[in-house]
Amino acid sequence: MSLVLTGIGATSGIAVGRVHRLTAGELAVPEYHLDADAVDAELERVNRAADRGQAFLGDLIERMGEDSGGTARELLEAHRLIMRDPLLLDATCDRIRSERINAEWALVQQREQLMAQFRRLDNEYMALRREDVEQAVSLIQRELAEQPATRVGAQVPHRLDRTIVVALELGPADMAILQQRRVAGLVTEHGGPMSHSAILARSLEIPMLVGIHHALDILEEGESVILDGHYGAVMAAHDESLLRHYQDKQELTRRRRSDLKRYLSRPSRTADGEAFELFGNAELPDEFQRCRDANAVGVGLMRTEYLFMDDTAPDEEQQHRAYRAAVKVLAGKPLTIRTLDLGGDKLPRGLALTRGPNPALGLRGLRLSLSVTKLFRQQIRAILKASVAGPVQILLPMITGLAEVRQARGLIERWGQELRDEGVPVDPDTAVGGMIETPAAALAVDRLVEELDFMSIGTNDLIQYVLAIDREDELVSYLYEPTHIAVLELIDRTVRAGHSRNRPVTVCGEVAGDEKAVRLLLGLGVRRLSMPPACLPAVKKSLIEANAGRCRELVRRYRANEIGQRELLSGLDARF
Amino acid sequence: MIRREVKLVNRLGLHARAASKLVRTASAWESDVFAVFNDRRVNAKSIMGVLLLAAPCGSELVLEVHGPDEADAVSALERLVAERFGESE
Repeated sequence: MSLVLTGIGATSGIAVGRVHRLTAGELAVPEYHLDADAVDAELERVNRAADRGQAFLGDLIERMGEDSGGTARELLEAHRLIMRDPLLLDATCDRIRSERINAEWALVQQREQLMAQFRRLDNEYMALRREDVEQAVSLIQRELAEQPATRVGAQVPHRLDRTIVVALELGPADMAILQQRRVAGLVTEHGGPMSHSAILARSLEIPMLVGIHHALDILEEGESVILDGHYGAVMAAHDESLLRHYQDKQELTRRRRSDLKRYLSRPSRTADGEAFELFGNAELPDEFQRCRDANAVGVGLMRTEYLFMDDTAPDEEQQHRAYRAAVKVLAGKPLTIRTLDLGGDKLPRGLALTRGPNPALGLRGLRLSLSVTKLFRQQIRAILKASVAGPVQILLPMITGLAEVRQARGLIERWGQELRDEGVPVDPDTAVGGMIETPAAALAVDRLVEELDFMSIGTNDLIQYVLAIDREDELVSYLYEPTHIAVLELIDRTVRAGHSRNRPVTVCGEVAGDEKAVRLLLGLGVRRLSMPPACLPAVKKSLIEANAGRCRELVRRYRANEIGQRELLSGLDARF
Repeated sequence: MIRREVKLVNRLGLHARAASKLVRTASAWESDVFAVFNDRRVNAKSIMGVLLLAAPCGSELVLEVHGPDEADAVSALERLVAERFGESE
């Protein structure tokens, strides 16, 4: 490649490395050693997974009917046989026994061995056969996976610190695994700066470009490239001087970052002495630790959609473990858990409801929880059980009115009592708050505040709903304007309502992590922010150096139409 | 034990679908069934084994069948191969 490919930088970072093209069908594979007494259970596990995989295919075959899809049927039959094949399954069991490794790992090793044999055959039909084996094996892996199945797989090297992964798109689970393997940078063909993977990349501090069309066609495996998130470009790294330029820049960024870290230990006060509190957003286990490392007051937003990305929803116990683990890492710092904020069409298979005509305005967030109370009950019980391990509060997403909040609180109360009746200890004072992210909630906030122990302003959705803009839509995303007067009015309204009733108001969402935008929030009276831990140092520096009184005055003049947007922004940006 | 030489006359040889039919037919009998091709001897009840034979169209395959129902098993397998594994050509 001698070209420069451009798209959108999801993060402003720089990465230099070799291209690894991630193709569909790869799966995440955990690898660990077993204790001697765990071997039998592991054998049982892999056999059951193979059984389930076979049953899954059998089901498919049955549904195809006798007379249709002859060829497809036969192929599926073949895959079913492969799953049960002694060369695959027995040999995998042997590996589990002799090497004391987990089923997934053993399966990968055995598959690799079989693949190597196939490769030696060098026959024109081999591609087809390799594919057959891979598909059958990945079906077993899928059954084994307790984590969401992902495309990031065994073929991906363990150490990715000099690797730029190129993919069509990346799911949250992919991102988690790539981050664990310390990937240098990411490039996807799909997605925008606000898509889930882009938000995660910022949070995990991974340089990432999105919307690089045809990246998989153009970038070659193993090719050296430079990724510049600031310009949204990926370019060939042949040119020595270019490479040196970017290496210098990387070094500068590194130094700036360690420079910023010094602010983390300073008191959270503005230049004119007003106190503020910074929280972290976290969902991956790693992120809770990062929040602590960044001296965050606590976690202001733990999203839980993650847990539900798999084909089967996590049960109460699995959820409880996840929440409890987070509480433990935070060691006494408060944790705000947001209940499931998915649309009905994004639920795991089996729970999926019919998709409404417009998911953004459909059955999602709290509405969904209230209509599938079985799911909601599991989640609330899991959270309440974790509440005795440390300070936990419950955050309800997508509320629009009082009735919903009252109904949700009633259920939470009832399920808490249910647990106490079962003899399970729960914290009786677990606070219940709500996301202010719909225009309705912001406009009715004076009433809602009576029913909520705390409020969190979700700016991403609020801006989207207030401005009637789909932030993923390239055609209108230019109108996405966090400083729009309508947005500011609603934030102000919410802050004042919280203040008058003495309820904490936190802003979470992208603007809370933007070192420039936070001064605007400061001017609106916001004193609590929750952001990806990676943003915390720069935000803290910006606030420490800000003059809250001046910010307030600038915002007042802007709202009174005495100054324009440009004057507002340059005024906020000024050094005080 | 019965040894029988068969010739693959279907268009694709022992590809996944044909292999799967061979395996399923072999598995229906109690007898052990092995297939030999190019000095490679595999369990014909294992699809991976059969696929690893990589026997293309026109190959001469040796079937070795040993067990109580070996005569019936051999004739069923021979018929399957002669009928091109049920493929159209």
